[in-house]
Amino acid sequence: MEKLLRYVASGMVLLMLSGCGYNVMQQNEEAVKAAWGDVEATYQRRSDLIPNLVETVKAYAKFEKDTLTQVTEARAKVGTVQMSKDVLDDPKKFEEFQAAQNSMSSALSRLLVVVEKYPDLKANQNFMDLQHQLEGTENRINVARTRYNKTVETFNASIRTFPNNLTNKFLLHLKAKEPFKAAPGADKAPQVTF
Amino acid sequence: MKKAGASFFVLLLFLPLLVEAAEIPVPRGYVNDYGNMISSSAEADLAAKLKSFEESDSTQLVVLTVPSLEGEPLEDYSIRVAEAWKIGQKAKDNGILFLVSREDRKMRIEVGRGLEGKLTDLTAGRIIDLVVKPKFKAEDYDGGFTAGVSALIDATRGEFAADRRAPSGGQGPYVPFVGGIPPWLAFLMLIGFFAFFGAMARSRAHHNQLSRRGLRRSGRGYPPYPGGYYGEGWSTREERDSDVDSGGGFSGGGGGFGGGGASGSW
Repeated sequence: MEKLLRYVASGMVLLMLSGCGYNVMQQNEEAVKAAWGDVEATYQRRSDLIPNLVETVKAYAKFEKDTLTQVTEARAKVGTVQMSKDVLDDPKKFEEFQAAQNSMSSALSRLLVVVEKYPDLKANQNFMDLQHQLEGTENRINVARTRYNKTVETFNASIRTFPNNLTNKFLLHLKAKEPFKAAPGADKAPQVTF
Repeated sequence: MKKAGASFFVLLLFLPLLVEAAEIPVPRGYVNDYGNMISSSAEADLAAKLKSFEESDSTQLVVLTVPSLEGEPLEDYSIRVAEAWKIGQKAKDNGILFLVSREDRKMRIEVGRGLEGKLTDLTAGRIIDLVVKPKFKAEDYDGGFTAGVSALIDATRGEFAADRRAPSGGQGPYVPFVGGIPPWLAFLMLIGFFAFFGAMARSRAHHNQLSRRGLRRSGRGYPPYPGGYYGEGWSTREERDSDVDSGGGFSGGGGGFGGGGASGSW
């Protein structure tokens, strides 16, 4: 009988944990991490495209050294920002990451504006292909960021509402996550016109 | 005065609806010509082709034309439609949306995650640039859609194969498991669970026999079902099959999109 009571008691403890949002918060945090993984992957994809793009442009637009250097530098800077999971828990690191990616975006859009002056380049099949890839990547970044922000919203709400906030305070100690903020002009994909 | 205030308040309530950009249409079939760009004979041909493509490959390709995007960016609109219609099979994510906006003279091929390997942004971009755009420029819309859809089918054929249909007799109805159990039931089950093991510990002689039987019983009680735990919103395979058989209609399978694909204008 005593044994049975103990089983019942441990069962109740388990249930209380699930009733106070313990599992929900964990799940929401995992969702944030998964979405963050997508964000990283899409940004990485963009970085991988850059060298190819720079080479192609270089062949046609020899006089645009400055713009090209800026793009290369921005890419190098993105590479130095530590891309890891603890970016999520550290608002300062997150800010850094966002700033680096934003400067990359603006360097890229400058490059694509410059390109307008070179009809030969614009007609080049290789360049057109790169443009499609770049456009697709920018769009993926956009989608991944939006989804990440949504999961962050859910997570942050779930650690603040009652009774989850108590569980979090005493057991989990999860911190609120940072969403992406739209920097002026940086939320738009570089304008690519034909 | 009070009345004016009230009607103003009601107007405010509707404001979000006005701000919300182009509305998502209802899926009518594989070809949704809301923009009136395709002749009815070409539309029937396309629909038949897309239906048989789904039957053989399970890949869902859906065509949508709209009169206008009403100012919304093409990419935002297209992913909203693709997500709302749940194009593609769940877990395979093999959906494609071919979206054309008539007045904006813009088009986009939105590619589901599972197809991104074969139908890359590059391939999708080339299909737009080299196959569809020249025909659209010559105002041969039927030809553009037919050629574009054929190119998309060629690019993705063989990436997925249709599942063999589940035998209809063997499977029970859809039973939500973990997600759908009310807490009180879970509690009762837990007590039962512990009591069961308590009893088992006491009568060690029957231990092996009991657990084997218990396992087999639970296996019969909860039949395996294909959709996963969160699939309540989607139609099941059987429903979809009967749907397709009856009217050639399309119904989304729950495929996911990650923003892949390409856009173009003409």
